[in-house]
Amino acid sequence: MSLFSNAFPPLIAGAAVIVSGISLQKYWRKHEERFSIIWLLFTVGLFFWFVGESVWMGYTLIWNVEVPYPSVADDFWIAGYIPFFFALYFYVRIFGSALSKKMLAIAMGVAIILALATSFMLINPVIGSEEDMLTLAVDFAYPLLDVALLSISFLGLLIFMNGKLGKSWLLINLGILSNVCGDILFSYTTLQETYYNGHLLELFYHFSYIFFLLASYIHTKEL
Amino acid sequence: MSKKETFKRVLLEAVDEGLLTLGESGREAVYFHLQNLYGVKKDEVPDKIEEFADGLRKIFGLGATVIEKAIIKSLYAKIGMKHEEKKGYSFLAYVKDAENVIQS
Repeated sequence: MSLFSNAFPPLIAGAAVIVSGISLQKYWRKHEERFSIIWLLFTVGLFFWFVGESVWMGYTLIWNVEVPYPSVADDFWIAGYIPFFFALYFYVRIFGSALSKKMLAIAMGVAIILALATSFMLINPVIGSEEDMLTLAVDFAYPLLDVALLSISFLGLLIFMNGKLGKSWLLINLGILSNVCGDILFSYTTLQETYYNGHLLELFYHFSYIFFLLASYIHTKEL
Repeated sequence: MSKKETFKRVLLEAVDEGLLTLGESGREAVYFHLQNLYGVKKDEVPDKIEEFADGLRKIFGLGATVIEKAIIKSLYAKIGMKHEEKKGYSFLAYVKDAENVIQS
């Protein structure tokens, strides 16, 4: 089980990078082109996450570190959020004027509710925790970065949901939502010291890579 | 060249420029899918403007309005018309107005 839970994520993350890379190859024209930049950023974001997964696998399977957290793997995971966020932002910005004020208000409401819910869920275990400041900061950072991604990707879903690209945006949203669930549970269980390698919550991360992979594939197929 | 032919040429140029909202690769992809899924070749867009608009909606959903606006802006600029947004006006209604101006 431990072998699977540590070796599978780099494989599925790597597959997501490859499929996103195929999309990049399709859409790449010039470096100043919007779709070129967007797909480059998506692919770079996923690549960082793939490296994060590989480093985690190295720690657990090669160096036998039980729970390497926080570690260098987190540097790559957190770094991956930056290109991923800008890819979503640049894409949504092209079509942003299609959104009504009502839609923007709904998306903002969803983001605020999620951010508050996340904070409330983690605040109690944080208060009772004896973890150092860095670990606590990372515990909070992941779910909040996920919410930032989700607030943008939700706008994309609202824009495209009635079109063929809607399927791709639904999958992106499901991928990020899986990360939200996984990261909240990971932060919660590490704070409670109940997390172990191969915990069931890791399935959320596996699903998120599968959703991102399918999102890239469907986008390339539909456009 | 007849007025009708002139309008078709100008409309095709406007569509081409409007689709550049997505960049060159996005524009190529849209033409490819319109031809394969809806049987609308690039050169036929002015004659099949309803199918073109329908195809855009089917691909982009609400996002199609952004591309349509870019096309209309470009079209009106090319024929020297001032573009004003009218409530309840569809993409096709704007195109029809432009056609009427050219043919009058």
